[in-house]
Amino acid sequence: MNPVSATWNFLYKTYHRLASPREFYTIAQYTTPVFGVLAFVLLLCGAYLGLFKAPADYQQGDSFRIIYVHVPAAWLSLMVYVTIATAAAIGLIWRMKMAFVVAICSAPLGATFTALALITGSIWGKPIWGTWWTWDARLTSELILLFLYFGVIATYYAFEERKTAEKAMAMLAVVGVVIVPIIHYSVEWWSSLHQGATVFAEGGPRMPADMLTPLILMIFGFMFFYGYALFIAAQNMVLNNERKSKWVRELVTVNINTTH
Amino acid sequence: MNALLLNTLTLYFRREWQLMFRNTGTLVQPLVFFVIIALLFPFSLPVDLDLLEKIGGGVIWVSAVLATLLSLERMFHGDYLDGTLEQLLIHHRYLPLAVLGKVIAHWSATGLLLSLMSPFLCLAFNVPVEQIWVLFIGLMLGTPSLTLLGAIGAALTVTLHRGGVLIAIIILPLYIPVLIFGAGMLSQQVQGLEILSQIYTLAAILVLALTLAPFAIAAALKATIN
Repeated sequence: MNPVSATWNFLYKTYHRLASPREFYTIAQYTTPVFGVLAFVLLLCGAYLGLFKAPADYQQGDSFRIIYVHVPAAWLSLMVYVTIATAAAIGLIWRMKMAFVVAICSAPLGATFTALALITGSIWGKPIWGTWWTWDARLTSELILLFLYFGVIATYYAFEERKTAEKAMAMLAVVGVVIVPIIHYSVEWWSSLHQGATVFAEGGPRMPADMLTPLILMIFGFMFFYGYALFIAAQNMVLNNERKSKWVRELVTVNINTTH
Repeated sequence: MNALLLNTLTLYFRREWQLMFRNTGTLVQPLVFFVIIALLFPFSLPVDLDLLEKIGGGVIWVSAVLATLLSLERMFHGDYLDGTLEQLLIHHRYLPLAVLGKVIAHWSATGLLLSLMSPFLCLAFNVPVEQIWVLFIGLMLGTPSLTLLGAIGAALTVTLHRGGVLIAIIILPLYIPVLIFGAGMLSQQVQGLEILSQIYTLAAILVLALTLAPFAIAAALKATIN
C-alpha cells in the first residue's frame, strides 16, 4: 500500500473511532496527559525565554513582554472560533455527536482566550497608547468576537433538550463564521490605530529571532493547552451525555470499587 | 423562476400580509417603539441643537436596530404556537422561499415603515435636508438585511418561552456591519466625502443576506422544531 492511501486509511479510521463517544473517551485518556505535558513544557520554555532571555524592545522597554501572553491568546481566540464552526458544520452535515461536544466544550475556552487577549491588550495599551481602551478596529472586533462566543454558549444552555440545543448552537456558530470576516473588515474600515501585523508580514517576520522564538513557543504552548483543556471538558461532557449507557455505568462502578 | 416556486413566495407573503393587517395593534408597535427610543435621547443630553444635529442620524439608526429587534420575537412565534409552522415544515413547498415570503412581509411592516418614518424624526433632530435623503436610502438598504439576519435568530429561538433576550444576544453582534456602513454614510456626507461606496457595501450585504439567510432560516427552523 502506498503511503498516501495508508495515511488516508489511518485518518479515516481515526475519524470514525473519534465519532463514537466511547472510543473518544478511551483515546482521550491517552492524549490528555501528552497534551498537558507538551503544553507545560512549551509554556515554561516560552515564558522563561520571553521574560528573561529576549532583549528589551528599544521603544517599549520591558513592557512589550506582555506580547507573550497577548498574541497567543488573541491568536487562539480566532483559532478556537474557527474550530467551533468547523466542528459545528461537521456535526450538522454528518450528524456526528462528538463534533457537537467538541464545539460546545471549546466555546468557554475560546471566550476565555478572547477575554485574556482583551485584558492583556488593555494592560499593554495603558503605558504605550496612554489609554485602557480605544475604539480601534482590532480591539473592537475582538470584543465583538467575545459577544459571539457568549451567544453560542447562551444558545446551547437555553434549550432543555440536548439535541435541539446542539443543533441550534451549531447553526449559530456556522452563521457567525460567515459574518466574522464582514464584521472584521467593516470595523477595520471604520477606524484603525492598532499596530500592523508583525509575524505574518510581507517579507518575513518584523522581529528579531530571539524575540520571535519564545513567541512561537508560547503560541504552540497555548494550542496544546487548549487541546488539553478541551479533552478534559469533552470527556466530562461525554460521561454526562452518555450517563445512561452501559459503558459509562461500568466505568463509574469500576472506579468506585477501586477507590474504596 | 419556476411558477410553483414563485407561487410559494407570493402565497406566504400574502398570508403574512393579511394576518398583519387584521391585527393593526401589533403592526404599529415597532413604529411607536422606534419613535419613543429616538426621542428619549434628547432628554438624556444637554439642550444643544448642534449636538442633536451631529448625533441624530446615529440615534435614528440605533433606534431602527432596536425596533427591528423587538419585532423579531413574534415573527415565527405565533405560527409556532398554532401549529402553522409545523404544517409548513412537512409541506411539499420549498421552505426557504416560503420563509423568504414571510420575511419580506415582515420587513414591509417594520423596516419599510421605519424608513418612511425616519424623515420626520430627522426634523425633530434638526438634521439638514440633504442628510435626510442619505439616512433614508441607508435605512431602505440596511433594514432588510437586519430583518433577514434577525429572522435567523428568531427561527433558532422560536421554541423557547422567553427567547427575547437570547435573540438580542445572538443577533446584535451580527448587526454591527450594517450599523457601521449605514451610520457611516452620514458622517461621510457631513465631511463632504463620497458616499457611493457605503451604498454599494450596504447593497452587497443585502444581496448576500437575501441569498443566504433564507437557507439558514429554513435550516434553523428544521433544527429547532421536532
